[in-house]
Amino acid sequence: MATPATTSDRTDADKGAAQTAAAFGAAAAITVLFNVVLAFVKDAYAPLNTLMAHLTGHHWVTHGLADILVFVALGWLFAARGIPARGLTIGLVVALGAAVVVAGAALGGWFILF
Amino acid sequence: MKDVLLFLHPTFGVLGLLAAVWVFVEALNATDGNHRRLWLASLAVAACFVLAWLLGGWYYVVFYHTDKALILQGPYPWAHSFFMETKEHLFFIPLILALYLPLVARLRLDVNRAARVMVLVVAGLIVLDGLALEGAGAIINWGAKSALADIATAHPAPAQVKGEQ
Repeated sequence: MATPATTSDRTDADKGAAQTAAAFGAAAAITVLFNVVLAFVKDAYAPLNTLMAHLTGHHWVTHGLADILVFVALGWLFAARGIPARGLTIGLVVALGAAVVVAGAALGGWFILF
Repeated sequence: MKDVLLFLHPTFGVLGLLAAVWVFVEALNATDGNHRRLWLASLAVAACFVLAWLLGGWYYVVFYHTDKALILQGPYPWAHSFFMETKEHLFFIPLILALYLPLVARLRLDVNRAARVMVLVVAGLIVLDGLALEGAGAIINWGAKSALADIATAHPAPAQVKGEQ
């Protein structure tokens, strides 16, 4: 990666890095929720659990790789398309924080109830 | 190897948690001067959580089934049915956050308020999730230990029986 030579180059690089951070922040929020939904579905629907176990040898390995794949793919896609349009905002921070809190509570609640 | 994995998994978990505290404190006092140090600390968080994932995952996939059987037959089967089931899925949340942290920590936090708040929130959530995971790990360990204690009580060693007579 080339080092920005001028103030203008640095500003452009900072904007690009901020947009990438925003894109992967949105991807992280979605991935955290995807992780929980996948946990619920595979726990409730045995054929999916079996399929996931068949793919890598263990359902948990497939689950982790799927999470990483979703995070990287969505982050890359969002960064390429300039999503979220407003960039890195406090609203995105709140969205990611809320996703993590809801996901954690939902996981705990699911395994208490079921 | 089995026991080494069992010790290395929480070790890297704790080191990642401590590195997240380090990132949090650096972000509270973000200046141009600590920018590089903060970013390096965020890389340490990511590296530690990836290692905790790989090492813990290795143990979980290859060895944990015997612990699971033991815990489920012991006095506290919920150490597996609740704490382990939750922990194995909850772990992916701080892992994703840890992988994300360096991407936002490389920004100039002293001039970008949203980035600074994002780093504080992500690092804080990693710490809280990490503490919950460490606690769950201790309870799972306790579930296995209690099951073994029950077996030992039910089947005392012959010498011990002789000594009691």
